[in-house]
This record gives sequence, C-alpha cells and structure tokens, in this order.
Amino acid sequence: MGFSSFFIFALRVILISHFLWTFPPWEYPIARAEGTRLIISGSSTMAPLVSEIGKRFETLHPGNRVDVQTGGSSRGIADAVTGLADIGMASRALKPQEAHLFGSVIAYDGITIILHRDNPVKFLTDVQIRDMYTGTITNWKTVGGNDAPTLVVNKAEGRSTLELFLHFFNLQNRDIHAHVVIGDNEQGIKTVAGNPHAIGYVSIGTAQYDATHGIPIRLLPLQHIPATIETVRKGTFPLSRPLTLVTNSPPAGLIKTFIDFAQSSQSHDLILKQYFAPLQEG
Amino acid sequence: MSRQSNHVQEYCLTVIIWTAATMVSIPFIWLMGDLLWNGWSHLSFNFVFSAPLNAGREGGIGPILISTLLLVGVCMGVAVPMGMGTALFLSEYTRHDHVLGRLIRGSLDVLAGVPSIVFGLFGNALFCQVLGFGFSILSGGLTLACMVLPILIRTVEESFRVISREQRLSAAALGLSKSTTIRTILLPAAIPGLLVGGILGLGRAIAETAALIFTSGYVDRMPESLMDSGRSLAVHIYDLSMNVAGGNPHAYATALVLVSLLFMINLSSSWIASRWTLSNQLPT
Repeated sequence: MGFSSFFIFALRVILISHFLWTFPPWEYPIARAEGTRLIISGSSTMAPLVSEIGKRFETLHPGNRVDVQTGGSSRGIADAVTGLADIGMASRALKPQEAHLFGSVIAYDGITIILHRDNPVKFLTDVQIRDMYTGTITNWKTVGGNDAPTLVVNKAEGRSTLELFLHFFNLQNRDIHAHVVIGDNEQGIKTVAGNPHAIGYVSIGTAQYDATHGIPIRLLPLQHIPATIETVRKGTFPLSRPLTLVTNSPPAGLIKTFIDFAQSSQSHDLILKQYFAPLQEG
Repeated sequence: MSRQSNHVQEYCLTVIIWTAATMVSIPFIWLMGDLLWNGWSHLSFNFVFSAPLNAGREGGIGPILISTLLLVGVCMGVAVPMGMGTALFLSEYTRHDHVLGRLIRGSLDVLAGVPSIVFGLFGNALFCQVLGFGFSILSGGLTLACMVLPILIRTVEESFRVISREQRLSAAALGLSKSTTIRTILLPAAIPGLLVGGILGLGRAIAETAALIFTSGYVDRMPESLMDSGRSLAVHIYDLSMNVAGGNPHAYATALVLVSLLFMINLSSSWIASRWTLSNQLPT
C-alpha cells in the first residue's frame, strides 16, 4: 500500500467517523416520539409573525411545539376546516359564508397607496385612486403631477390585500386596468421603487419600514389620514385588515392557550417588530 | 473585390461570435458580483451555524442548512438506487423498442418537463396526506426524488448506451455473467455519466422552492428527525425577499451560501470522477 492510497484511506475513515459522531444514526430515529404539536398554516403575510410568536410560546411551554406553514389565507381557512391544521391564518376578516368558523384577531395591518419618492403628487382622493385603477385617468398631469403615463400595479388573484382594496374602492377585479400584477408586498415595493410613474398598494408596516430604510417610495395618506402603524392601531386609518387566527371549533386546550398568548401583551413587541399594529390593550 | 468582401464577412462573423460568447458570460458575472457585493459582508461563521432570529433578519441559517442537507440526502438516497436500477433495466434488460421500455421512457420525458409546483401539489397529496408523513423532511425529500428521477435515469441510461457493443460481446465471450458484466464493465464506464446525472439532479433539488413549500414546509427550527418540518435554503431566500421587510441582506448572504454549496458539490464530484476513471482504467 503506497503512501497516497494510505492517506486517502485514512481520510475516508476520518470523514466517515466524523460524520457518524456528528449525526449518530442511533440518535437519529426516523420517527420521533410525539409531543404536543400545534400545526398552523395560511397567510404568507402572517407566517413570519406567527413563527416568532410560536418560538416564544415554545420557550414558555416546554414540550410543546408550534409548526407554522404558509401558502395564503385561502389555504389557511381550508386547512382549518379540513383539520390539516389546528389553526388557520387569514390576513382578512372572516366572510359571511365562513361564519361557522371561529376567528380571533391578534393584530391589524393597514394597506396604503405608495408612489415613487420623486413623484410630486402628495395626495390623491378616493375617486382619483379609483379612476387611476379603472383606467379613466392615465396621465399624472390630470392629478397635478408630471406629464407622464401612469403605471398601475395590482395584486394577484387570491391575495387578501387585493380583496380588501377592491372592497374599499367598490371595484371588481375585471374593472382594473393593471400594467403590472404582483404577488407579495416586497415585490410591490420593489416595482414602485423601480419606476417613478408607478402607483401601487401594499401593507403599511412593510412600506413604512422600507421608506425609512432608504427605499425611494412615499406612503400617501388616505382620506387625509396619514398612513402609519399608529393610525392603524388607533383604528382611524380607513383601509385596514385584521390578522386573524381561525379555528374550526371554539378554541380549547393548548389551541386556546396559544391564541390567548398571541393576543396578550406578551407578544406585542414581536408584532411591532414585524411592522404590524397590535390590539390596543393587551 | 470579392477577396475584400470575403475578408469583411470573416471579420463580421468573428465579431458576432465573440459578442455572443461575451454576452452569455455577462449574466453569470453580474449575478455572482451582485451576490458577493450584497451578501459577503453578512457572511460569517456565526451566520452559517446559528439559528435565525426575528423572522430571519437577525441570527443565521444553521437549522436551515441542516434541513437542506437532510432533504438532499433523502432525495439522493432514494433517487440514485432507483434511478440506476431503472436505467439498467432500460438499457440492459430490454430491447430499445420494447413496449414497457418505450412506455417508461415516454413517461419520464413528460415528467422531466412538469413544473415543480405540480410536483409540490402531488407530493403534498401523496406523501403528506395519503401516506400521512405530514409536513416533513421525509415528504420533501421523496417529492424531490420524484422530480430528480427523470433527469437522472435518462442521463445514466445514455451513459450505459454509449458503451460499445464490442465490450459487451467480449464480456459475453469470456463467459462473464450479466451481473459481473454490469459490476466490472458497465458501472465503472458509466461513472462519469452517473455523476453528471447526479449533479444535474442535485442542482435541481437543492435550488427548489415551489415543490418544497407544500411538502417539507416552513419551520426554521433545528430538525430532530426526518418527520420534522424543515425549511430549505431556497424557501428561506424566497421568504426573506418576498415576505420579510428588511430581509434582503440576509437573503443575499443565504443565496451566497447556496451557490457556494453548489460549487463545492460540483468540484468534489469532478474530483471523484477523475480519480475513479484513473484507478479503474488500468489493472493494478
């Protein structure tokens, strides 16, 4: 056996034993003994927040685990109904046909119109916004801006931000003449930040964070009420949505403990850190 | 005159070809430069090995890296033996125009073109719900295996096919059994092809988002078993850049880790390939 083949052999032994020592198969069973596990699924807006609340909940209630999955509000409600998830997440209020479900609001999120920072327009009335989205106003000159065509950014079908926006402005999605259709909040902000003539609508918390961190966007007030986390929290901002935890039956046991914890003042700092507005009094 | 125009023609062609080649490499250089520029300063030992905090804006990617390696491990552990078996079946145990072989080949070609979100929904329905694995690394790894198998099988099958007929006939003339022929002649000769197929599959698996968000899930805790839900690097990058305000810096750093991982896999497999072919070509 030459030196180099001995060296390779030794290297293999070291690598394999190191691997076995780091991930010993006898300590790595296929199935772990089941503890109590809460499965939560739904809204991608809420998923980062509820994950953080879940982590704090786990440290306070050892032995229990909170698994958060994402996929959108509609899926959260569907999973809560079929029982695939213990709790569903919906970033909107329950609809009348969902009245048999039990919703618990844990925080609020406001939606506002955003423009590029270089756009001179500082205020738009509800009618002007509506006309821009339906294609009646197609130039910024009409609302006191530069002579440039508007670029309308709309949300994709199935997003609760879209539903809330349509409901507030009394529109149908087919009425909207959109130039760009986007999915998530950050994508909307990136689109508007990249185009001085764009108009879009996104979650206030996300927009406020990005605007204060140098992204060139401006949040427009709605009905003269400034778009901030504070006005959403006070309930004065007209266009806001509740972040709701949904269950199929009245919350009980660990599910109730978790929902109570998420609503309590113990998770207020986490809600603020994700740029949402907590309930007024814990 | 015609010599002159010939000259111009040659010159134009050279310029066009050089331009095309340069333009192809620009996106790659741009991408790597962008990743390094935005991600390098956030990359550290702590980032790679610690747990994420505040929805990934702080902390690191330790558990996510482990989940990704486990996912890829499950995927390759299932896909490689099954892929080799099927490729051997297609190239050695059936004639090229055999009905079953044609059926398998046809369905593999269709599967190779199916978008990954469809594999995700399929994996969610079969592994998570029908088989009851739930959101778990096992479900995710098996879904990835389904996705990787078509590419793997077709590449390996090709590398078996290019082995010359003379080699097989010589083996038969020497009275070697089918299993001995496969073990001593076909497999060593097909190793480079196998590695190429493996790398293509691995690359597709490790960069996957859509198929995993519905199968292995979103949980960023350190996995304790294969039945735990685990977030992959690609899902983490997607979530940070799309759902988390202020998540961009760590999304870049995570992307840098993912790309480095791919580089390491590529380098080590080409190293293995060169060693293997050297040690097997000559009798020792």
